[in-house]
Amino acid sequence: MNWLGSLRKQETTHARFICVLGLTILALVVTIFLPPVADSQLASGAAITIVILGLSWLIGWSGQISLGNSGFMAVGAYAAGIWAHHHATTPLVFTLLLATVAGAFSGLVVGIPSTRLRGPYLAGMTLAFAAAITPLAQNFTSMTGGEGGLFFNTLTTPKWFLHQFGGINAAINANAQWSADLAVVIAGVMFFFMANLFHSRSGRAMRLVRDNDVAAELMGINLPRTRTLAFVVAAAFAGLGGALFTLLNATVTPETFPLTLSITLLTLMVLGGIGTLSGAVIGGIIYSFSPNLVSYVNSLTGVNPSSNLGANMQGIIFGSLLILTMLFAPRGIAGVGLKIKHSLQSRRKLESVENVN
Amino acid sequence: MSSFLTSAFMHNIFGGLAQGVIYSLVALSLVIIWQSTHVLNFAQGAMAMLATYIGMTQIDRGIGYWWCLVISVVVGMVFGGVTERVLIRPLYGKPEINPIVVMVGFLGVIEAVATAIWTSTTRNIAAPFSQVFFQSHGNLVYLSPFIIFQVILAVVIMLLVAALFRFTKLGLQLRASALAPEVARLLGVRVNRMLTIGWILSAGVGAIAAVILASGSFGLFPTDMDGVFVAGFIAAAVGGLESPIGAIAGGLLIGLAEQFILAYWSPNVAPLGGIIILVVALMIRPQGIFTRTVGRRV
Repeated sequence: MNWLGSLRKQETTHARFICVLGLTILALVVTIFLPPVADSQLASGAAITIVILGLSWLIGWSGQISLGNSGFMAVGAYAAGIWAHHHATTPLVFTLLLATVAGAFSGLVVGIPSTRLRGPYLAGMTLAFAAAITPLAQNFTSMTGGEGGLFFNTLTTPKWFLHQFGGINAAINANAQWSADLAVVIAGVMFFFMANLFHSRSGRAMRLVRDNDVAAELMGINLPRTRTLAFVVAAAFAGLGGALFTLLNATVTPETFPLTLSITLLTLMVLGGIGTLSGAVIGGIIYSFSPNLVSYVNSLTGVNPSSNLGANMQGIIFGSLLILTMLFAPRGIAGVGLKIKHSLQSRRKLESVENVN
Repeated sequence: MSSFLTSAFMHNIFGGLAQGVIYSLVALSLVIIWQSTHVLNFAQGAMAMLATYIGMTQIDRGIGYWWCLVISVVVGMVFGGVTERVLIRPLYGKPEINPIVVMVGFLGVIEAVATAIWTSTTRNIAAPFSQVFFQSHGNLVYLSPFIIFQVILAVVIMLLVAALFRFTKLGLQLRASALAPEVARLLGVRVNRMLTIGWILSAGVGAIAAVILASGSFGLFPTDMDGVFVAGFIAAAVGGLESPIGAIAGGLLIGLAEQFILAYWSPNVAPLGGIIILVVALMIRPQGIFTRTVGRRV
């Protein structure tokens, strides 16, 4: 993962593009060999990666703490879901674009008042937003399907793909592989987009606002606009990720986006590394294989997975991981990787200095 | 007069105030922690829930209501003190996101553990007060002996907290270490101990709110306090997180607002009421309605 972390040093968009392309192709090749269950887990993980990218941008780069990203996900998911429910033949790109715009709009609505809030106030405000959005879905039943949710089937595997991969695997395998490939490609595009945004003019402005808002204002940066923009981008990413997540599962209900999802997102981001691109990918991979992790812990501790404790094991593991990471390695896995890399580099430098002497 | 008492309007006033005192207690507990350690405790509701569940297990063993109340509060206080020592103390001086993230993680652990032990079903504590509404000339007045008890209990707790802060030496030390820790330390106040005491007090107040909720007609389930925490936070934020009076007034305001939205629109829209109040309040006075300190304006 080190070479991913070093993306920030390679200044050219060109190099960045090749890195992302290589990683995406690698993931696509991997999906050929994964069993269908793992493929669909990977697909959800790719959708979650997009959300974490936005969250990492918001918390890590603009320094605004949001616990409301499950709410932004829900907005995008319902926008896509309501559209896909009525117009099943719409091209996927259009549905996803609609969800992204809807997410961005909700980010604008939450972002504008948030320019006046800091730290804990902001965290509480966004938490209140996430808590209020799910009951809303239950209120407008005629549109959202209420408690039972909406069903749709828009992700049809194209014929050429079935032809290509259906021969080796069964059709189910090819379907799972198609959705995984689709999600990976979209995640790759969004990763590339975010990598450029991190190093763009607004990305640098964002970091300055985070580190010293007075200095930023003196340099002519419009603080409210920059802060709101951070929210809009993060919410657009969350809306897209949420929409992809529900389209993959072919259903959206109010229970898809509980408050605990915000905690899960925060855990994955912190675990991967706040404000790092590679951290978002690490978080997404961890999410993909968290069911395996949970069942491994269950078998390790001898807990029956269908028992009450087994059903809540994921919450216990993720919550504990969040606490432990924050207390002992607040930079996350990507941060630890960077540290190792830097210490190796400095040792190498020392050695070369000694050689000169 | 009697027709006024039984009107739909007064029904909503009583219902809103009854819910509002619970929010006020949670908001007050958040303000106590905020004043002592400048941490917004996102696990406050979950900690209170867990303490109440432990109290409820003792009720199963045959103890009375009052002992259950006492046990819940004592367990909650111990819990608060231990949390401050173990989870929060290592984080002083770190960026403000760190304690937020840790407490959010703690919230997740507590709720998962509580659901694992007690399942997600609702549980009640049988209070020694009737839940049956009073009547006036054959019409219902939406007040029951239990609601009156819950309001009186909340007010007594608030007065006790106020008296502690205002009239005792401990309260003076608590206020001193919140206002100017360095000076307080030089003058011989054991500031670290005061921070722990702040958390203990706060967790006790929170536990009372959860016990009241559990004794009410709707009972308590493991994630029940999420919504109460959000409402309590909004109440505290409207008051500015610094002012106990503001927190209490804010709690009543949120309770009334939710009740009226619930009655005249839909219960599903009620959580939005709090957000709208928060946004409007912060637009008018970003530093909180009841604070005298000047907030940062950048």
